[in-house]
This record gives sequence, structure tokens and C-alpha cells, in this order.
Amino acid sequence: MSHESTGFLNRCVDTDGHDVGALLSDLVATAGAKAAESSRLRRSSLEALDSDLEQAAQAISERFRAGACLYTFGNGASSTDAACVAALFARSPGGALLPARCLVADPAVLTATGNGVGNELAFSRQLVAFAHAGDIAMGYSTSGNSENVIRAFQETRHRGLLTVGFAGCDGGRLAGSGVLDHCFVVRSHSVHRIQEAQAALSHRLWATVQQRLTPDGERPAVGQREPAADQDLAEPEEVR
Amino acid sequence: MARSDAFEARESERVSTYRLLATDDALSQDLLGPDAADLAAASLAMARRFASGATLWCAAPSWPWHAQHVAVDFVHPVIAGERSLPAVMVSGDHLWESLRPIARAGDMLLVVSRSDEPSVAGLRQRSKAWGVLTVWIGTGPRPEPGSADFVLWVDDDETVSSYGGRFALLYHLLSELTHVCLENPGLLEAEQAVCGDEVCITCSDEGCLGEVVAIRADGRAQVRTPAGLEAVDTTLIDRAHPGDLVLIHAGTAVTLVEGSPR
Repeated sequence: MSHESTGFLNRCVDTDGHDVGALLSDLVATAGAKAAESSRLRRSSLEALDSDLEQAAQAISERFRAGACLYTFGNGASSTDAACVAALFARSPGGALLPARCLVADPAVLTATGNGVGNELAFSRQLVAFAHAGDIAMGYSTSGNSENVIRAFQETRHRGLLTVGFAGCDGGRLAGSGVLDHCFVVRSHSVHRIQEAQAALSHRLWATVQQRLTPDGERPAVGQREPAADQDLAEPEEVR
Repeated sequence: MARSDAFEARESERVSTYRLLATDDALSQDLLGPDAADLAAASLAMARRFASGATLWCAAPSWPWHAQHVAVDFVHPVIAGERSLPAVMVSGDHLWESLRPIARAGDMLLVVSRSDEPSVAGLRQRSKAWGVLTVWIGTGPRPEPGSADFVLWVDDDETVSSYGGRFALLYHLLSELTHVCLENPGLLEAEQAVCGDEVCITCSDEGCLGEVVAIRADGRAQVRTPAGLEAVDTTLIDRAHPGDLVLIHAGTAVTLVEGSPR
């Protein structure tokens, strides 16, 4: 951090006598409180959903073993989180590379469906085109009420896809929809904190899936470095 | 997981799957510490620039979704009623080339990347020459001081930083604090200083970074600086080419900056 460049910020006092130094102190305190809340929520979500994550990881890894593709989706910032998770599965360092794709990658397809049949079908229409029974649908909605996410799960569940949903608040309509095999609800009303916790949950899910996909005998103790195991994974394993 | 271990492993591209499970702690750690002051200062600087009409350009060459996430957070804030602010993702293989015609002096650039991301060095340097404020969120070995106006760093494994929500926390806080600053309009009138002022916050005593735009008929170079276009004598640096980055002092290019691409 270029500490030397921030001194000039302290010059200014506004007409009500508020000064920049006081504002910066407030901001530091606010940032600290928000970061603490973020950690608390991530920790409590990981703990509360621990066994659900294990079960979902088991189901997802079984599907990957059988040749599944993972499709992720969401709206707005959740669409970027969905893209992040698809990339985590498909190309992140340190894991087996798995077939995963985000449904918001192509604006031509998105605007075509939005314009032609409505935004609420933006994901389900693509899934009808791409997905096969046995694939995995993973959707993100901080409110749990995103119509196109719910419609995508409705469409894919009866086609035999595994449905995994991430929601916030009280889970919204998504949690009560009966279309999810696995539902992860982050109990918060702050959109940003929900997204941060969803990222932590998704990362844990990915790591657990990776663990399931490698035979037991090769597993070193968690947190310990084993050169032999590292070498085994030097060439990313293509599961599909 | 020890930090140095993590980077060593990434460099050799041999991160064990199982070692990643050890990062669950990192997924829920308290994160800010001393960086909170940097975050606060960056937020105020950004609010001041937004208040004077600046655009925020967002780039994350290896992880484009982060740039999109930042842009959408400013354009369509999560809290209803907060004002929409101009933030735009820039992508592609030619980041600074695509930014050059649209970025204006006073704008901002937020980069999310590893410190060794090859396309970022040119982007940061050009931004300096154009008078664009730079905020760098990243991971990997900490960059040299002065690499960006504000550096917000995550000292953790890339999978946790980029994929586990650590970067997200930083840019979420940045947008939240920027909106807090915007509620204090009386404190947003500052930081007008650019190159050419008596005390130059951008170039200090070292001269001002500029980008050669064209060579004029009189042999001098037309150079883009944070203060605008100026005619600069280039006899000290032999020959200048359009696109060169030069260090200017008193109307003269004194150094051809290393690494300026041809």
C-alpha cells in the first residue's frame, strides 16, 4: 500500500465541521465490523451446512464419475459468482479438471432468449438445449426468489439433473419450491455477506468433491504436504 | 497452510487437492487488519473521483467475473436507492490499448489479479500517464511500493483468494465504503492536484509520466499526461515513437521509460 500518498486526504473539513480524519476513522471501524460479520457468517454457514455439503459433494462426485457436466447460473452479481464456480471446477489450479460451464457466458444467447421468450426462461431454455439426464444444475440467488433460477430448476429436475441451489435470507421461494436436491441457505439479509458466504460454501463443496474423486489410499493427512501425492496431481486428471 | 508454501506450490503448479482442504480456516478467517486503513483511504479517493464525474474501469485478466462483479455492484448497487455509478468491465487481450481511447484523466482503474499477471504492468503504467487512479486488489508476492495508488492484498492461496470469496469481501467493502463517503458531499472536494501544480501528487519531484501520442512537424513529441496534451522536447532521449512512455520534467522528456511496448 502506498501509505505516502494518503496524507493529502486529511486536509478537508466540510461546512458542518466534519473532517476527513473522522470520516476515515469511521470507515475503518465500519470495514472492521463488516469483515467480522462476513467471517462470522461464513463460519456459521460452513458449520450449519456441513453435513448437507458432504451429501451434496457425494452426489456431485458420483455424477462427475458417470460423466456429468455441471451448469451454473444466476443473475447480476450472482451470475459472476456462478461464473467463478464454473471456473473453479473447470480450470482452477490444484484439482482434477471437471466439465463445468456457466450459462451467462454468452450475451448473444442471453439476449436472444430474453428478447424472444422472456428473461424468466433465460437458463431453462439453455438447459433444455444442452443438458442431459445425469448432469448437474447449480444456481445462485441471494433472495431465493429469482424467477429464472427457479424455472431452470423446475425444468431440469424432471429431466433427471441433480439440482443444487444457493440462496440467502430465508431461502425465499427457492427453498420451498421442492425442486432442489440440495439447498444451501445463508441466513443473512445482506446481499454482499450472503455472496461471500456462498463463495465459501461453494469452495468447500468443490474441495470435498475433489477429495471424493481421488481414491482413498492416495489421500495424505489434511494440511500436510506429500510430494508423492503432489506429483500424482501434476498432470490434471480429466474425469470425463 | 503456510503462505510461502502456498506460493511455492502454485509456481510449480503442483498443488495437492488435499492441501486445499486445509484452507477451510482461511475461508472463515478475519481478514482486514491493517488493510482497513488502506481500504478506507481508497474508498474516499474513489468517492471523490466519482463525485467529479469519473468512470471506474475494472479489469481482472485471469478472472473476468471479478471485474464484472465490481462493475455491477457500482452500476446497480445492492441497496435500493443508492445511486448508480459508472463502472465498466474491460476485457480482452489488449487491455490498455482498448482503454486508451476511452479513459480520461481523473478516471479510475480497479485491477484484480496476481502480482505477476503479465498484462497488468502495462495497464498500471499507462494509467499513471493518463492520470487514472489505480486500485489493485491481488494475491501473490506483494508488489513494489508505488505499483498502484492503492494496493489491497490477500496473502493467501489463489484458490481461496479468487474462488473462496476473499477478493469479493475486499471489493464489496470498497463499494460499500465508497457509498458511505458519497453521503458526505462536503468532504468530497479535494484531490484536484495533477501534474503541473506547484506540488504534484502524481509525479512529486521525479517528473511526470507521459505517453507519446505523435511526433510533431517541429520534431517535438505530442505527449499525453494527466494534465492533458503537451508538446515535449525529446532531444535528450534520442528518438521517441508514438506509444512510448516518457518521464517529463520542465517540458523535456528526460527518460524513455523501460518496458514501453512497441
